[in-house]
Amino acid sequence: MSMRKRTSELFLGTASAALLALMTASTVLADQPDEAEVGVDADEEDAIVIGGSIPMTGVFAFAGLQFNDGIRDFVRWANEEKGGVNGRKFRYVGQDTGYDADQSVGVFRRITSREDVDFYFGDSTAFSQSINSALNRRDILMTGASFASELNNPEQYPLQFLLGPDYTEQVGILLNYIAEEDPGARVALVHSDTEFGRDPIRASEEMAEELGLEHVETIVTPAGASDISSAALELRRARPDYTIFHGYILSPIPDFIQRARQMGMDTRFMGTIYTMDQGIIDEMGDAGDGFMGVMPYRYYYDEEAPDTEVFGAIHEMHDEYRATTYTQGWLAGMLLMQIAQATLDAGDELTGTNMRKALDSLEDIDTGGIIGVPVTFRGNSIPVGRIYRADAEEGRMVPVSDWIDLDETD
Amino acid sequence: MDWLFFFEVSLAGLGFGALYALTGVAFVVIYKATRVINLAMGEMLMFGAYLFFGFAAGFMLPVWLAIVLALAGGALLGLTLERLVIRPLLGENPISVFMVTIGLASVLVGLVEIIWTAAPRSLPGFLPDDPIFIGDAFVAPKTFWSFIIAGVVIAVFLVLFRFWRGGVALRATASDQGAAYAMGINVPAVYSLSWGLAGMLAAGAGLLLGSIAGISSEMGFFGLTVLVVVIVGGLDSVLGALVAGLLIGWIESLAGVYLGGEYEHLVTFIILMVVLLLRPWGLFGTREIERL
Repeated sequence: MSMRKRTSELFLGTASAALLALMTASTVLADQPDEAEVGVDADEEDAIVIGGSIPMTGVFAFAGLQFNDGIRDFVRWANEEKGGVNGRKFRYVGQDTGYDADQSVGVFRRITSREDVDFYFGDSTAFSQSINSALNRRDILMTGASFASELNNPEQYPLQFLLGPDYTEQVGILLNYIAEEDPGARVALVHSDTEFGRDPIRASEEMAEELGLEHVETIVTPAGASDISSAALELRRARPDYTIFHGYILSPIPDFIQRARQMGMDTRFMGTIYTMDQGIIDEMGDAGDGFMGVMPYRYYYDEEAPDTEVFGAIHEMHDEYRATTYTQGWLAGMLLMQIAQATLDAGDELTGTNMRKALDSLEDIDTGGIIGVPVTFRGNSIPVGRIYRADAEEGRMVPVSDWIDLDETD
Repeated sequence: MDWLFFFEVSLAGLGFGALYALTGVAFVVIYKATRVINLAMGEMLMFGAYLFFGFAAGFMLPVWLAIVLALAGGALLGLTLERLVIRPLLGENPISVFMVTIGLASVLVGLVEIIWTAAPRSLPGFLPDDPIFIGDAFVAPKTFWSFIIAGVVIAVFLVLFRFWRGGVALRATASDQGAAYAMGINVPAVYSLSWGLAGMLAAGAGLLLGSIAGISSEMGFFGLTVLVVVIVGGLDSVLGALVAGLLIGWIESLAGVYLGGEYEHLVTFIILMVVLLLRPWGLFGTREIERL
């Protein structure tokens, strides 16, 4: 190899390494564990074991890391402050799935083979679907990240429940709010061409008509990074008073909003749970101001939050904003605690079937303040949520409705 | 038929098609010089967009400087990949090189997720956002300016290929490598040049795409549609990339509005199938292209 060649390779190698180092330094690398274990030791008798297929890397890591932190903090709090349930303490074992359904199943097999798991947290709809028969066979109760309407079916998914309203119910809460505030309003639905995006659409179109609203358009955008120019033009032609997005986290929502404003449109934009965290709204920049949506939980900074049991504990542990997905992890724990208590009080063992029976018997569940009203399961979901609006001046989401319980509006 | 609406939808499609064309040119430059079909092009584009994000949002550098550094970083990435990964493979079975570029794509996605995580992000705005009207037709400013920038860059490239010494060397190498060697052209340097230029073009396209559609570690998917564009246009034709890019952008846009968003990519791949059946070398490609 000639000296010149070596020099050029050396230069390229060094320059690339320097560039990489520079970029790494420019970002705060997220704390990305691939396994978490908290609570009592595995050999502790009678431990209540929570297993978790948690997306700590991959595209859903922004939520997965928060689920992990939320469940971990719940377990510490429940063991130290509450002494567990009837003296039985919690143990949490979560492993990274990379948000890949095959890996999630692998993690489930690994954790359930080495631990006596009582309760499980899943990371996606695909995982919830594929693990369902194994859950039934092993008699384990599960919840998780998915709000898929399909899962809200106790006959087909007897050992799974959702941590809030399913996607159809979320859009239903938005539509109820619109019908109340602005009867007869024109509503458009915009969704991604994914299973996630299509989930609530057909039912929501019908519900809008039933509520006396005018459903003016449903717009589909292709999956992946794509241009929404023509979709934005379609939206303008439909002239909706309200536009509900579903099936996205962030993009292309800010682009839709910017284009609508440039075209002088007067429509209010709304979203569902995974778009509604403060961190995502902040990423929207100017477009985020005034964005509305449904959120089943209180925000960290809610005025009433410090007076509640759960947020009181969270505020003691963290003096900075915690994401709504973190609260979701806590809610899983709080519900498990009450379900386990009811099961043990009935003199039953903590099997999936017994816990399901206990879940069905519970009414007006106190979530420790995570949800602002006592809640009761309807099928596999909790059909309660609140409408919030992004206030750029205050830099936070402000509630614009009371808690809406679909059981009371039906 | 609402002709104004049709015109607006067409303009939107042509605007986005310009991005297909720009990225397509990057494909073509590499293919012309090195006969490598680079399946990591979408990921090189993504890397460029993230570089800009890192410089503009991470280091808080002025936008113009972040753009320059992202373009330079894109070029450096192209040079590095060529020198360290592609050149040792030249002369090997084309399938091997093709597979290596698929691997490169995964490596780049992994790298981006390690450095910036896969969290959803918005790119800092750098294009003017005053609404643009052509007659009564609205054109989104980002689409309009992306079209203008892509158009100017492609025009500059066409001129460079024609008149610049490096461009002539690249064309000479493309038409006959042995003869180019014999005439004293530094063929390895031409390889580096093509990958460097392509890296820079991809980074530029990444900036524009990111400003329109946001950035994510999955935005490399865009490269798949661009692959369709260059196959339709002809793998070794800059003009083909330009025409096919605009054509596919336009047809996708019309399909999205008149058939529904779920049909956009379907229509694109139907076009690909038809072209492969009727004219496998593409609309403007050279007929003796070796098929993989």
